[in-house]
Amino acid sequence: MFSKKAVLLLVVVALLSMIAAGCGTAQPQTITVVETVVVEKEVQGETVTVVETVEVVKEVEKVVTQEVEVVKEVAVDPDALPPEETLFYGDDSASGSGDIPTLDPSLLVDSKSIQWARELFVGPTRLNEENNEVEPGMATEWEVSDDGLVYTFKLRDDVPWVKYNNATGEVEQVLDDEGNPRIVNANDFVYGIRRTLDPATASDYSYVNWLIVNAQEVNGGAEDGEENPLYGKLEEIGIRAVDDFTLEYTLKEPAAFFPAIAEMWINYAQPQWLIEEKGDRWIESGVIQTYGPYALREWVHDVSVTLIANPFWPGSDSIPKPSIKYVHAEFLEESPQFANYEAGLVDVVSAPVTELDRIKADPTLSEELNIAPSQCTYYYGFNVTKPPFDDVNVRKAFSYAVDRTLLVENVTKGGQEPARWFSRPGLLAGPDPAAGDDFGPPVTADPEKAKEFLAASTQYPTAGDLPEINLAMNQTEAHVKIGEAIQQMWKENLGVEVNLVIQEWKVYLETLDEDPPQIWRLGWCSDYPDASNFLKDVFRSDSGNNHTKWGNEEFDRIVDEAARETDLAKRKELYLQAEKILIEDEAVIIPLYWYTEVNLTKPYVTRTYGTGGQESFEKWSLSK
Amino acid sequence: MARYIARRLLWLLVVVFFVSLITFGFARAVPGGPFSAEKKLPAAVLAQLEKKYNLDAPLWQQYLSYMGDILIPRITGEAVEGSLLSDYLINIPLGSDLTFQWMNFGPSYKDRSRTVNDIFRENLPVSFELGFYAFILAVVVGLPLGVVAALKQNTLWDYLAMSVAIFGVSVPSIALGPIFIWLFAVELAWFLPSGWGSWRQDVLPAVVLGVGSSAVIARLTRASLLQVVREDYIRTARAKGLREGVIVVRHALRNSLIPVVTVMGPIFAFLVTGTLVTETIFGVPGMGKYFVGSITNRDYPVIMGTILFFAIIIVLANLIVDLMYAWLDPRIRYT
Repeated sequence: MFSKKAVLLLVVVALLSMIAAGCGTAQPQTITVVETVVVEKEVQGETVTVVETVEVVKEVEKVVTQEVEVVKEVAVDPDALPPEETLFYGDDSASGSGDIPTLDPSLLVDSKSIQWARELFVGPTRLNEENNEVEPGMATEWEVSDDGLVYTFKLRDDVPWVKYNNATGEVEQVLDDEGNPRIVNANDFVYGIRRTLDPATASDYSYVNWLIVNAQEVNGGAEDGEENPLYGKLEEIGIRAVDDFTLEYTLKEPAAFFPAIAEMWINYAQPQWLIEEKGDRWIESGVIQTYGPYALREWVHDVSVTLIANPFWPGSDSIPKPSIKYVHAEFLEESPQFANYEAGLVDVVSAPVTELDRIKADPTLSEELNIAPSQCTYYYGFNVTKPPFDDVNVRKAFSYAVDRTLLVENVTKGGQEPARWFSRPGLLAGPDPAAGDDFGPPVTADPEKAKEFLAASTQYPTAGDLPEINLAMNQTEAHVKIGEAIQQMWKENLGVEVNLVIQEWKVYLETLDEDPPQIWRLGWCSDYPDASNFLKDVFRSDSGNNHTKWGNEEFDRIVDEAARETDLAKRKELYLQAEKILIEDEAVIIPLYWYTEVNLTKPYVTRTYGTGGQESFEKWSLSK
Repeated sequence: MARYIARRLLWLLVVVFFVSLITFGFARAVPGGPFSAEKKLPAAVLAQLEKKYNLDAPLWQQYLSYMGDILIPRITGEAVEGSLLSDYLINIPLGSDLTFQWMNFGPSYKDRSRTVNDIFRENLPVSFELGFYAFILAVVVGLPLGVVAALKQNTLWDYLAMSVAIFGVSVPSIALGPIFIWLFAVELAWFLPSGWGSWRQDVLPAVVLGVGSSAVIARLTRASLLQVVREDYIRTARAKGLREGVIVVRHALRNSLIPVVTVMGPIFAFLVTGTLVTETIFGVPGMGKYFVGSITNRDYPVIMGTILFFAIIIVLANLIVDLMYAWLDPRIRYT
């Protein structure tokens, strides 16, 4: 378009004008004027008004606007975490590796989310992670009415909502519109509970709170679902704030284990003002507001999470003020975490099964190894409507032919405990071998007894009479190894050849739902540490988790009564009876082993060991 | 040429449409759903979840609404919502409180607080960078190796180069990765064993990833160059007295690159969209695990999002490869 000459001229003119502008004719004179300027600085997306003294340099000829610098300096380098004050956590044995799926109390489903949310929020009660006893959480005391239906919790009034300020590197209190700190009160709890039960939130665990009056109907769990007149009417739920610091629950029927439920994440207080403003993104790093012993310093998805001790947490006997300032975890797979542990970069780690032999043989590592109980049971279930397992004698035969001790010592090798019944010892009101309870199949195989049972069955007295049998499991190396071992045991001890059917995980779940095979494998982990969660929630005849197609009126009656009963000794007696029906009389399942957690901890970490898969970092200390 | 590119881009849309249809169909046909878990959810809770994520609508409606969210932009006067169901990739404020929003790939069903757009925003750049470094490495190592092997055919150099190539192709990253970590990060401590960000973390995964591809490129270059070097015009060039280096680079190599470039397109696409194994071993926060994990979890939006993204990258890579043909071989013309 332009000729070459024109372009050249343009360039020269442009250059000259730039030089001319830069030089200027007169030397500008500078006057230093000190002015008090009110500056609005954007901190983390919120506008904070700061009054500051700033030097503004004014030139005589031109006014030069300079960037105003904030006088305050950042107190902490945000990237470097001081090692003496930081716990580098890498134990994923309870939760699996990978990013934390969510920190929203209403949406928590998996152990990992629950673990990290537990440090940020506290329910009215708090379960002691070591012995599963109910202790005060946000409530200092509580009482239950004589009919067992109304629980009144008296809450603390000295816990503020806090958040982490990235610019200052400190945890600060959240202020309301008048500039006063927001204190966690009963209304926050009511909001949180209602939000979890709101059908629009679609919370997975809302059903645990269905024992609150009207909760089931409001949440859409009634027979008529959405048609129910109470559907979505959150104010009708039997929870209210009597005053700012008194929380009152009204239950449908008495439940002895309700205080254990009050500690769960579905009963955490939530910040209504924040959720209404930010929507689903309220839990993100730099936005979230919490009140527990730790606050969220940083959460980089798929990379790491860092907690910082909350100085405003007043501390109590059950939840002390944390002594470790930072807790940092990287989301790595098990092997890299363990490599980091050996390199001294991580303080706590889970022990990969493949390394266990080496760890046990190593002088240093074996000292740091700890095998602790974990509240889960691994079992094989029968479909009692499919032959040959419609005959209880055949079921007993198969159960007695399994050598559980051999299984845990040679196949799983993780220090697991051979299981003789379903509810894991350590649960409230459940049977416990340590207490002397002794029933169910033996921990080693009893081939003679097994053959006796088989002979006692009317249709299948010998192994040759049995039809084709399928043992189903999902595609994981560990399950396949166990399946093959037990397949071998049945062959040796009973003379029966069983087929292994291996399916992909979700396909397997569908199979269990629609048409459970003759024998299938499953595990069950506790939601709350009570025998009811194992026996009633799984094997009651109407439970969705009961894939055995077995139902027993007596069993149902016993577990219902035990759930309502408040006397612990009576409950234990009832659950013992229930287990005996399940295991001894009916042999509905083959209990295999009770889970353990295998982890390593550096000697300079003084820690507690949680039995439910949850840890309390506020009780740990470092002496690096 | 411009018409050609325009036509190809239109075909891209057609390909994406078919890929989305097929993927959607398969993902829904596979048994199991996103919310099936070992602990059975009560029917009411399942119903709520399905309602929230529009999974109770008829399939064709779900498909159309999903594609509509991606393809059809919208202008909203509301303040930016915090809902994860309406997280758009492109948000352009138009003034007076209106925002132009486009491309909502949906939320993740498994990670309840993330959306597919989050994955694109946070994990994709990491995978892309890793793949890019691996690709550069593959080309920078593979091409010269192949050239040397071809020129010094059947000598020690050739055997050496091809041994390295066979090694690279045979040893999978799942074996190479831990070996490299042990050797370079633990024993020698030259690099860090995991993570992403600093060069000390980036080198090992890029090398492990690039080694396999460099082997493929080396072998192809060698084979192709061997053929070209025997052509008459190369003899002419030598007869003319040109230096060997000039002959190889200016004449022989350029003509022999067509098969190599053909393969570089898909290689680039594969490297750049995230590789599960390498990313897992080295703890690189990339997209690889979302490809595989989403299928295991039946996380439909993530499945669709990752596969659509992959399809687009492959088609674009192939387009660039085709355009490179025109540059490499002047006899090729596009209309």
